[in-house]
Amino acid sequence: MRRMLDVQNVEDIALGAAVLGTGGGGDPYIGKLMANEAIRKYGPVEMVTIDEVPDDEMSVAIAMMGAPTVMVEKMPGGRECVDAFRAVESFLGKPIKYIYSIEAGGINSTIPITLAATLRIPMIDLDGMGRAFPEIQMVTHNLFGITATPFTMADEKGNSAVLSTIDNRWMETFARSIAVNMGATAHIAAYAASGKQQKEAGVFGTMSLAEKIGRTIREARAEHRNVTQAILEVTGGYLIFHGKLTDIQRRTVAGFARGEAYLDGIGEDAGSQMKIQFQNENLMAERDGTIIACVPDLITMVEEDTGEPITTEGLRYGFRVNVLGMPAHPHWRTEHGLAVVGPRYFGYDVDYVPVEERFSKHSIS
Amino acid sequence: MWNITVDDVESIAIGAGILGTGGGGNPYLGEIWMKSMLKQGYSVNVIDLNELHDDALVTDVGGMGAPTVGIEKLPHGLEPRWAVEALEGFIGKSIDAIICAEIGGSNSIVPLIAGALTNKPVVDGDAMGRAFPEMQMSTHFIDGASCVPTAMADEKGNQIVFSHLTDSFALEKFARDLCILMGCRAEMAVSVMSGKQVKRSAVPRTMTLAKRVGDAVRRSRRTKEPVVDAVLDVTGGREIFAGKLIDVQRRTTGGFARGDLVAEGIGEYAGDWMHIAFQNENLVAWRGDRHERREVVVCVPDLICLLETETGEPITTEQLRYGLRVTMLGIPCTDKFRTEKALKVVGPSAFGYHDVTYNPMPKVPGQGIE
Repeated sequence: MRRMLDVQNVEDIALGAAVLGTGGGGDPYIGKLMANEAIRKYGPVEMVTIDEVPDDEMSVAIAMMGAPTVMVEKMPGGRECVDAFRAVESFLGKPIKYIYSIEAGGINSTIPITLAATLRIPMIDLDGMGRAFPEIQMVTHNLFGITATPFTMADEKGNSAVLSTIDNRWMETFARSIAVNMGATAHIAAYAASGKQQKEAGVFGTMSLAEKIGRTIREARAEHRNVTQAILEVTGGYLIFHGKLTDIQRRTVAGFARGEAYLDGIGEDAGSQMKIQFQNENLMAERDGTIIACVPDLITMVEEDTGEPITTEGLRYGFRVNVLGMPAHPHWRTEHGLAVVGPRYFGYDVDYVPVEERFSKHSIS
Repeated sequence: MWNITVDDVESIAIGAGILGTGGGGNPYLGEIWMKSMLKQGYSVNVIDLNELHDDALVTDVGGMGAPTVGIEKLPHGLEPRWAVEALEGFIGKSIDAIICAEIGGSNSIVPLIAGALTNKPVVDGDAMGRAFPEMQMSTHFIDGASCVPTAMADEKGNQIVFSHLTDSFALEKFARDLCILMGCRAEMAVSVMSGKQVKRSAVPRTMTLAKRVGDAVRRSRRTKEPVVDAVLDVTGGREIFAGKLIDVQRRTTGGFARGDLVAEGIGEYAGDWMHIAFQNENLVAWRGDRHERREVVVCVPDLICLLETETGEPITTEQLRYGLRVTMLGIPCTDKFRTEKALKVVGPSAFGYHDVTYNPMPKVPGQGIE
């Protein structure tokens, strides 16, 4: 169904995207400001569902890559995403009719909206993760043989590059280096895909899911309902722990924010401890030494009263949080998907067990 | 216009080794690669700058990376073509001719390989008239030519095109890091320039010069005459020292082989010492005593070349070791590097020697690097 996104919709998407960001993905705040500025200037953005996209029309993902902490400080110039988009068009030698979000979690939920408003190009209601992930090859499109090539990047100073690599893992290597030299953030356009390819590879409806989560949080707050419960109802997730942050360890390794958060249980969980390990995003949750949720399933901490999602860089001692576990998209749960984003890729020698198998008694589906 | 022969390749490799001033990588691998291509039936023409149309599209071709890795990591064989084709794909037009980025060292041969693979002529000239370690050190960029679009390609098939860059220093920074990730060796097609631009800013006829230096060395080897004299004759340089290496200090910093050497004089230089500082290439030569540098004899952008006294073989900075008997030559660089603007990019202060003043070596009209 074709619909228009206005400023309120963008506010809701940004809030919901922070829940899907699982602690990472970058603060959607800057992206939201940019998107709303563009909507005020150029008018609302059209969003279409996947079934409205003709098989032979091309779409491309627009995103920011780099360190989330720098994104907050280094303002984009505004032209970067247009430059990156045009460069892909000229490489492909044909017009691109749609754009999409590669990552519904975090800042990249709203970055494409700015371009969609500026160029009056419709967005497709889908993404390539259904959450946030730290690396370029961690995209469902990658699982279906869609290449990130041609991959274009641009910075606020006017530097830009076009990359063509033998696989998507190499793209991560080269693009990361360029992004660092561009000042740790860059705008990118990548994973050009036809409508036919999108119908196979995309994670559908994630932009409207983010919006629905955001709207639900907003309404639940206004009606003084239990915000955590409202989020779980929308996402089909589980409350996996309720506790207070007692310790947080952080180290910046190879361009990533890695670390562990420790929580002491409250209420029903009193007497138990939880340890959450993260690399930009939350990767694994252990309760009293037993893993109870891990990638690719989503692990998000929300503030216990307001339901405000907390990013890994925002974690600090004393926070009272609800830890949510939410099932990943089925694309990620295949052998191929787990090889790209499963616990072993991130260095944990454990098998993936879907979160609902551990919490089936709470199942909402 | 002349067609490159196996014999030419051999001479160019020798001449380029000398013009490499201790760096630029060993041309040997490129030499056998090019020779084998000629034997397979590939062909490449070298054209004079005058034969180039003003509106022709020309790109600067060369390899980037650590010379030491260049010897170990064998190329796929088509990288120079991939780099040129990536550039053509980006601009949507065909490149008309190729020019050498750096006549000193291994990059003397890479454009010939690119020309043979893409069936394009190679313009007789380059952007340095020697070897230099960084990309901004180019007569084209100093003249104001744009450094984009520039393409790089590795042996695996990865290709990157820089479409816009703030300046050529940014190109050096971006490309250097990517080159390391590509495995310390990448082939590049740098910039798309007009024939008019190339005629104005290239160092002319350096492919011919490398060949003439190589021819002279080979001839004097056959006739058992001093190789050094033959080189000086063609390049318009002068001998600055002959002696024995008594100390070599090396450190690898920032991706470069940096270091210093001390040589003790022999024969007419007995009782003198010479100190040389290098960063891949030889940068500054000072006369002095055993422990102290006293007086600058030659410095960048002029060329400091070390030849093994006995054979006349050029010695690269990684081959330096105690006991080698060497003859040191100073060769005047291109006039294009002798302007105030150029010296900011390639003069001694650009390499961190702020206390060294560049005094241009006198040139012999009609001889050497133009």
